[in-house]
Amino acid sequence: MQIHLQQCQFEFEQGFQLQDINWQIKSGQHWVITGANGSGKSALVATLAGYGEKIAGTSEGSVEAVALVSFEAQAALIERERKKDDADILDVISVGTAVHEILAEGGTNANIVKDLVEKFALNYLLDRPFRALSTGETRKILLIQALASEPQLLLLDEPFDGLDADTLAMLQQYLAKLSNTVNIVMVLNRSDEIPDFITHLGYMRNATLAHSVARADESGYRELFQLLHLKTSDLRIPPTADSSTQALLNPDQPLVVLSDICVKYDQLKVLQNFNWRIDTGQHWQLCGPNGSGKTAILSLITGDHPQCYSNDIFVFGFQRGNGESIWQIKQFIGYVSTALQWEYRVGTSLRNVIVSGFYDSIGLYSKATDKQRQIADQWLALLGMQGRADQSFNKLSFGDQRLLLIARAMVKHPPLLILDEPCLGLDDINRQLVLALIEKICAAGLSTVLYVNHHSEDTIAGIENYKNIEKHSSNVD
Amino acid sequence: MLRSLANVPVELSKLFKWKMTMSNNYFNTLALRDQLEQLGKCRFMHLNEFTEGVDALKGKKIVVIGCGAQGLNQGLNLRDSGLDVSYTLRQAAIDEKRQSWKNASENGFTVGTYKELIPTADVVLNLTPDKQHTAVVTEIMPLMKKDACLSYSHGFNVVEEGMQIRQDLTVIMVAPKCPGSEVRAEYVRGFGVPTLIAVHEDNDPQGQGLALAKAYAVGTGGHKAGVLMSSFIAEVKSDLMGEQTILCGMLQTGSILCFDKMVEKGIDAGYASKLVQYGWEVVTEALKYGGVTNMLDRLSNPDKIAAFDLAEELKDIMRPLYNKHQDDIMDGTFSSGMMADWAEDDAKLLGWRAETAETAFEKTPAGDMEISEQEFFDHGILMVAMVKAGVELAFETMTAAGIIADSAYYESLHETPLIANTIARKKLYEMNATISDTAEYGCYLYNHACLPLLQDFMKKIDTDVIGKGTVNDDNGVDNARLIEVNAALRAHPVEQIGGILRGHMSDMKAII
Repeated sequence: MQIHLQQCQFEFEQGFQLQDINWQIKSGQHWVITGANGSGKSALVATLAGYGEKIAGTSEGSVEAVALVSFEAQAALIERERKKDDADILDVISVGTAVHEILAEGGTNANIVKDLVEKFALNYLLDRPFRALSTGETRKILLIQALASEPQLLLLDEPFDGLDADTLAMLQQYLAKLSNTVNIVMVLNRSDEIPDFITHLGYMRNATLAHSVARADESGYRELFQLLHLKTSDLRIPPTADSSTQALLNPDQPLVVLSDICVKYDQLKVLQNFNWRIDTGQHWQLCGPNGSGKTAILSLITGDHPQCYSNDIFVFGFQRGNGESIWQIKQFIGYVSTALQWEYRVGTSLRNVIVSGFYDSIGLYSKATDKQRQIADQWLALLGMQGRADQSFNKLSFGDQRLLLIARAMVKHPPLLILDEPCLGLDDINRQLVLALIEKICAAGLSTVLYVNHHSEDTIAGIENYKNIEKHSSNVD
Repeated sequence: MLRSLANVPVELSKLFKWKMTMSNNYFNTLALRDQLEQLGKCRFMHLNEFTEGVDALKGKKIVVIGCGAQGLNQGLNLRDSGLDVSYTLRQAAIDEKRQSWKNASENGFTVGTYKELIPTADVVLNLTPDKQHTAVVTEIMPLMKKDACLSYSHGFNVVEEGMQIRQDLTVIMVAPKCPGSEVRAEYVRGFGVPTLIAVHEDNDPQGQGLALAKAYAVGTGGHKAGVLMSSFIAEVKSDLMGEQTILCGMLQTGSILCFDKMVEKGIDAGYASKLVQYGWEVVTEALKYGGVTNMLDRLSNPDKIAAFDLAEELKDIMRPLYNKHQDDIMDGTFSSGMMADWAEDDAKLLGWRAETAETAFEKTPAGDMEISEQEFFDHGILMVAMVKAGVELAFETMTAAGIIADSAYYESLHETPLIANTIARKKLYEMNATISDTAEYGCYLYNHACLPLLQDFMKKIDTDVIGKGTVNDDNGVDNARLIEVNAALRAHPVEQIGGILRGHMSDMKAII
């Protein structure tokens, strides 16, 4: 079998459309399609079973026998059965269709049905009316029906959802064996459920198949897997080593107060009379065109700008320029920027890069404690990079480096996390990865996030305050 | 001494002509036993000796004189360490808004004249070029507060010129062993650069010198990368020796000889230029990581033996020259010669500088061919031999003169890659622009003596050891000879002390 969709557009009920679908499935391939809720992943897979109306594009190839198990199909069957119950006009009580009848529908192989009923331990309900079953039970019945129809192409939309551990293991084993003879396409929401026999991953975003990659393409597959992992796993931000420096702050004081800021280089004023107050828990997005002084503002906060000593700056309880050291300031800040990534050209291990966040250093110059190492490993697991702790940082892809630097910034649970154009220079998938990670961080509520960006599409859920700065550089009189 | 000397007002050199007649070489006034004691000072300090951080400087007013690369970058670090830093410049530099004034004021520092700021200072950091020291120190000394501290980053003024400092003042030295830009870059990374500190024992009335020097080293981040506790004398005598022989002199002479030989033998000039310009950096990178042994281990066995033999021959030829440089440094001949040239408005120095700019090597741009890392070794056997000979000779000569092995190591092997890096950037011009005038003057002295000295040696050199490499299919060597060479490499004292010191350094830098 082979299916080749080119520039296809499909329309579904209520006007939902899939756009620009380019997808080729060849014999022997097994796909997992994933994506956020509402991205169209179920719809995409359903088109293979003839759902949706193709209104543009070409579709080549054919499949003789397709079986689809999905929530939609399950709902349709339940609806059909429910309608049978509307027979009170006949004044007889309808019991609906019995389970064994459902299983025989569509010319299923009786031997396979028998075998699977035993495997799923469902003998006890063969004679019950289908509509009397629980949701989980109907799901299993539909799975058996689909498997027993001996399809050439098996479409499974979230087949593992709601299965108990034993049944899950049994089904996975069964599918693995089946994959030798049947092409399987699944919709999955969780990266950790992807079976080993899967050969390809597809990622749906905004109703299109945004990425598809073969497992053989190791780095591409890894990136997509990481994205799924971040998007779909139930991730928890690892704890910090001792206590966050949050405890050192007076909760009644603002985190940052910039008053009447002026920054000038030679004769050029890049910031003039700029004021900003950031309170704990207020996530901010800072926007402004190139050259408007965004980076200058950030570096005044971080203490990296030499003119921070000649401005009125209050940060983390310090009025700047009164004998505090830059390290006393930096301990409260996690920081990520493209510039940092350029600076961070060291051959150190991934684990050490994360640990360096405890010391605010580029490279690691102190021995890591066991606890710090453990935490670094937890972060690597969160990023989907477990087992790569000893790899060299400068051999990583650009996107992976960025992710790692975000983990480095967050490792100490800083009261203020500054993300200066964290998606700059990243391709789409890596941008998705970074945004997914930042959303996790915002949601965790451990840090106040200051997000700088001029890409309007890269918004982050959870950021509600916006600071816009205009380009207003002017010459000093 | 690596320091950028961007803007030296010419009129200054005239200011101290009168002073020279007054000066006495301080080292020569000491008894032999004191000379030896001072020369023998050098100790690698441990991190736990810096637990008091910058406390000794906390709340004190630090005034920096000079705002070039060292002045600015050290000041930025000290301020970021929570210290009170301001800059004092000559009235003219302020009035004319010279670069030094821009450097300081654009970075948000207070800038004032000597008269305005020096009297308020608890610690004065003299970060002007050596040549200005006598004039600057003479001018500021009467303005300094009683019991204040004067810090140098090079001891030439005190040791060679015999500057007498007011008895109530504490005199220390803190010398980061890297260019100013690196001093800043490493600090920002959360690290530092190796730093040498010293207290001038004749000027330590309250016994606070060491505490102040340590706090200063912490303030610039140096304590994280390793601090050497030395003396003014050991610093000056070893620094001068290293910079004029192996560091700058040998690399300059070697560059010219290797380039000319290749061109003479018909090798493409662009290739020859590239091999020399970048070759020093590549081969000394191996030196930095694993000493002379590792540098030679990068060669095939037959090539290693060839490099070893060449180096032995070079050492025999050049040993008298190294001895002469060390002797002239020790008895003050070198510094009085150079000061005489200062009095002549640098006539010799400027002449030699112009000459260097005219060498064929300097004028031939590097070609755009690829040279692999290994090829720099395989085609640069003579360069490897020159580095080996220069490092070992400088080290041997210094230790024979009473300088402790630790100092000798830092001033020879340790700094060679730093200088090689400047040649890779912009050839001899960049090297001579980056190093101090003192180093540059010594470098030219060496170069002029060494070129004729190696004339006969170079006659029998062919492209097998420079430019093309050995075309030997047979990689075979005599086992006994190889064992002998390997043993000799590893047994050299510079390798022994290098192993220990690099161990300290990598402990500190452990993880990177």
